[in-house]
Amino acid sequence: MNMSPAPTGPAGEPGSDPLRDRVLAFLRERWDFVALVALAVAPLVVPALGGALGGQVTMLFIYCILALGLNVMVGYTGLVHLGIAAFFGIGAYLFAILTVPMYPFQMRFVTAAAVSALATAGVGLALGAPTLRLRGDYLAIVTLGFGEVVKVTLRNLEQITGGMKGLNPVPPPGAGLKIGGTDLGLAFAIDPRWFYYLALLTLAGVVVAMRRLENSRLGRAWVAVREDELAAEAMGVSATRVKLSAFAMSSAVAGLAGCLYAASLSTTADPNAYDFNRSIMVLCAVILGGLGSIPGTLLGVALLVGFDTVLAPWADSTIQQWNINPSGSSLLSFSGWRLAIFGLALILVMRYRPEGLVPSRRMAAELHEAH
Amino acid sequence: MVFFLQQCLIGLTNGALVAMVALGYTMVYGIIRLINFAHGDLIMLGACLALTIVSVLGMATWAGAGTWLGVVLLVVLCGLFCGGLNVAVDRIVYRPLRNAPKLAPLVSAIGVSFIFMNIGLFWLGPADRSFPELLPATNLLAGEGLQFTAKDLLVIVVVVPLMIALSVLVKTTRLGKAMRAVSQDPTAAALVGIDVDRVIAATFFVGGFLGGAASVIYGLYINTIGFQMGFQNGLYAFTAAVLGGIGSIPGAVVGGIVIGLVRALSSAYVGERWTGAIVFAILIVILVFRPEGLLGRGTKEKV
Amino acid sequence: MPMKARTWAAWLVVGMAVAAGCRPADPTLVKIVSSLPRTGSAKQQSDTIVRGIRMAIEEAGGRVGPFRIEYLDLDDSTAAAGQWTSEAEAANARRALQDPDVMAYIGTFNSGAAKVSMPILNLGDLLMVSPANTAVGLTKPGLGAPGEPEVYRPTGRFNYTRVVPADDLQGPLSADWAKKRGVKTVYILDDNEVYGKGIADLFDERCRELGIEVLGHDSIDAKAQEFKSLMASVKATSPDLVYFGGTTQTKGGQLAKDMASAGIGALFMVPDGCREQVFIDSAGAANLEGRCFVTFGGLPPEKLTGKGQAFVERYRKMFGELPEAYAVYGYEATCVALQAIREVGAKERRAITERALAIRDFDGALGRWGFDANGDTTMQTLTVSVVKDGKFEFEEILDASEEAAAP
Repeated sequence: MNMSPAPTGPAGEPGSDPLRDRVLAFLRERWDFVALVALAVAPLVVPALGGALGGQVTMLFIYCILALGLNVMVGYTGLVHLGIAAFFGIGAYLFAILTVPMYPFQMRFVTAAAVSALATAGVGLALGAPTLRLRGDYLAIVTLGFGEVVKVTLRNLEQITGGMKGLNPVPPPGAGLKIGGTDLGLAFAIDPRWFYYLALLTLAGVVVAMRRLENSRLGRAWVAVREDELAAEAMGVSATRVKLSAFAMSSAVAGLAGCLYAASLSTTADPNAYDFNRSIMVLCAVILGGLGSIPGTLLGVALLVGFDTVLAPWADSTIQQWNINPSGSSLLSFSGWRLAIFGLALILVMRYRPEGLVPSRRMAAELHEAH
Repeated sequence: MVFFLQQCLIGLTNGALVAMVALGYTMVYGIIRLINFAHGDLIMLGACLALTIVSVLGMATWAGAGTWLGVVLLVVLCGLFCGGLNVAVDRIVYRPLRNAPKLAPLVSAIGVSFIFMNIGLFWLGPADRSFPELLPATNLLAGEGLQFTAKDLLVIVVVVPLMIALSVLVKTTRLGKAMRAVSQDPTAAALVGIDVDRVIAATFFVGGFLGGAASVIYGLYINTIGFQMGFQNGLYAFTAAVLGGIGSIPGAVVGGIVIGLVRALSSAYVGERWTGAIVFAILIVILVFRPEGLLGRGTKEKV
Repeated sequence: MPMKARTWAAWLVVGMAVAAGCRPADPTLVKIVSSLPRTGSAKQQSDTIVRGIRMAIEEAGGRVGPFRIEYLDLDDSTAAAGQWTSEAEAANARRALQDPDVMAYIGTFNSGAAKVSMPILNLGDLLMVSPANTAVGLTKPGLGAPGEPEVYRPTGRFNYTRVVPADDLQGPLSADWAKKRGVKTVYILDDNEVYGKGIADLFDERCRELGIEVLGHDSIDAKAQEFKSLMASVKATSPDLVYFGGTTQTKGGQLAKDMASAGIGALFMVPDGCREQVFIDSAGAANLEGRCFVTFGGLPPEKLTGKGQAFVERYRKMFGELPEAYAVYGYEATCVALQAIREVGAKERRAITERALAIRDFDGALGRWGFDANGDTTMQTLTVSVVKDGKFEFEEILDASEEAAAP
């Protein structure tokens, strides 16, 4: 990803520390490896991860996976997708159908996850086939409409989906499996660290897969279609096939995230969890973090989720403790300003740094090219 | 049969309201190819202003001709407010992005939508607010066994002149000609001496004014406003605009009426809870088979 | 420089995570946590419940036994959703569990949210007292979906109680009342949610048992803006009564409005989810005048006697207005928790939970009542109020024991 030459100290400065430079360069280039190790070790060092915090960080990982899926569409291929939450939901519900006691399937976690991710990809293909030839704006609206259709359908098909109650309980992975005397399912249910590692592992896998794709023929085809569809066609890249593959990949990853989501919550939650708000939040994360850039996407998710689940409640309870807002009006609460803050962030980023916080170099060059 | 007619009446009135909102979308899209996500929320803010004016002036106690005068006043004030707000947003947010890739104004519009929603949250509070009944509730078609009051009539009576006025504006006036020119090719328009930014601003103003008028009608007709009403209404209206052919003014109206009828009839014969899915399924189908919409002209992409 | 922005952001995230994690135990402190929808349209109701909780703690002098009390007002709704979410509720439950000082969890308001946190809190034997959940499946075996309520008790032990009677009282008694009133035909609507659909289904079942004709039963989209076509369909069937299973937040008020403008003359009946002033305001008092009936499990504030009346008076003095229906339930729930903690005298969750569940004769603001074997209250009173002059006016009490005796 970063193709910087071997690190040297600042030119001509005597006494520059080659070790420090090497460490910094290592951190910059292999940030992903460092982060993985840090996150893997964290539960042993931070006891809070064995409790509520662990569940929250697991959720963060799941959103990261979802955002990486969206990144394939919006980042690599440049197609605005306003309905990623629908595929998130389809993955979650399919997974639940395949595992809850209500249905006869009751598959194991890995099988169920694989099947539902593939099936979600199938849904993506089915939606994409007739619609991917539409112009960008129209495609955005189609994905938006599809999101609404899925939400309403999930809500209304009560016999299949449980309606607003959702499908539950979704058994934890490895339910009934015994490894070395411990019931795996019970371990998952009680100790959040199991889900933490499962989600972290899956995220690492997705990141590796994305990296591979980025540098593969398909990945370059995605970028070619994004930069100039007609030119790509002229060079023999079938734009429709390429877009379709992006849509399928994006749906599959979103579906996988959905499986983890349902498993970790042990319910699918109600269909309102998969609405336009969710899609927009993930889109914001990808855009703010950095389109088409894996570290950017991950950072974007961390910031947004961190804002919503850490910063906002902390700020609100601090305001509560200092009694700044006795009447409880939205104006004086922190989360009352949430929408405006997000909106402003979007506008500012689009105006001054449309490639996002941690851009992919290509994207930055594209967005800042001479008008 | 009466039941079917009643549903059609409701569909028509609803559809007229949707059409009014759709006109705002279609105008902005027609001129700068921007899906103005914030339009629905702009209307919500207009409705907030309408509610404030109604409360401050105590309009609920006015009667007879006074009420109708009050309605006209509301339409004008809210129209100006929304029009002005729209122009300001264009100047501040969209103008710097004229030459940026498509993603930038689209996402910025979403950002503006969020900001509007937050303003609405502070203005109205988190719960829905009731808009007072200002118009007489007498049933004008009681004889036929149908329910049709002054409220319903108002919606239809306002949309038709507006559509005609808009068409006149676009077809006969100089500004309208300039709008059509900019819509076709901004660079060429600039070359022939049209102040493109001014024309775009004017378009935003007209779209906003229509939105403001729509917001008043919405309040009077539905009698409930809330800070989240922009999204739902915006979605239906945009569907209508696309259905009719985005960029086409009669298209927006036709699309609106169709959407209104589909909503009413699907609610009556399929079930209230499927209406949302049906409308958007129709949208997807239309876009797949006839992306230019019912009345739109197919545009060829130039290389 | 990109590096700077990235590093700063990363450190910020790490810092927040670490800060969120550190929490030592305090032997002199007991915490009581509430999980209610504090943003969004349910805020007005939850505000009064929180006031009730605070009043109970204040009356106890901020102390229970040898401990001082700290109260945490947690939000199970998010600004994004505008209502309760599974994630927020699960996060609240886990946070309460993880904090060793927390001895009681007052929540939830929405039955759907309770389904999320009950299993989590059950794993830690943390006492859960709900001031407002009424869905039957939470406690009553055989009445809810298959597997309920055992599915909410993974350890097999009980930890959930509620101070408000469940819908197996409210739903059927509403139908009994309608029958008594001479209603022959009904049209039933619900908001498709756990609570709303649950009670609408119970009402539906009982109507059929009593011979009241159910002309239709449809679910609405709680996000829709208006229901004119729906009301035209309802009007075409000419019902005597329209029942809506739902809350103010799921458009109870809008339905009443559209019902009136469609010219439907039928009575309108709603459950306790609509028993708040906001409902009357959102529907428009004129539209409800004399024709809207609200059921409520328990006694409304103006009908409370003894300790309950004293509570209402104190509330009025402190806040300058009458409490909403659920305020006294928040108060009572907290009193129950405090009594259990006081009697145990130590910070042992399981002991406190068992002590609370063993309450058989509690003399509180709601009267004399106790918990039954399932954690439900033994109170079986239902009141019906009518909307007059823009306010709720008490109409009559329906006692389940009476109804059982009558034919």
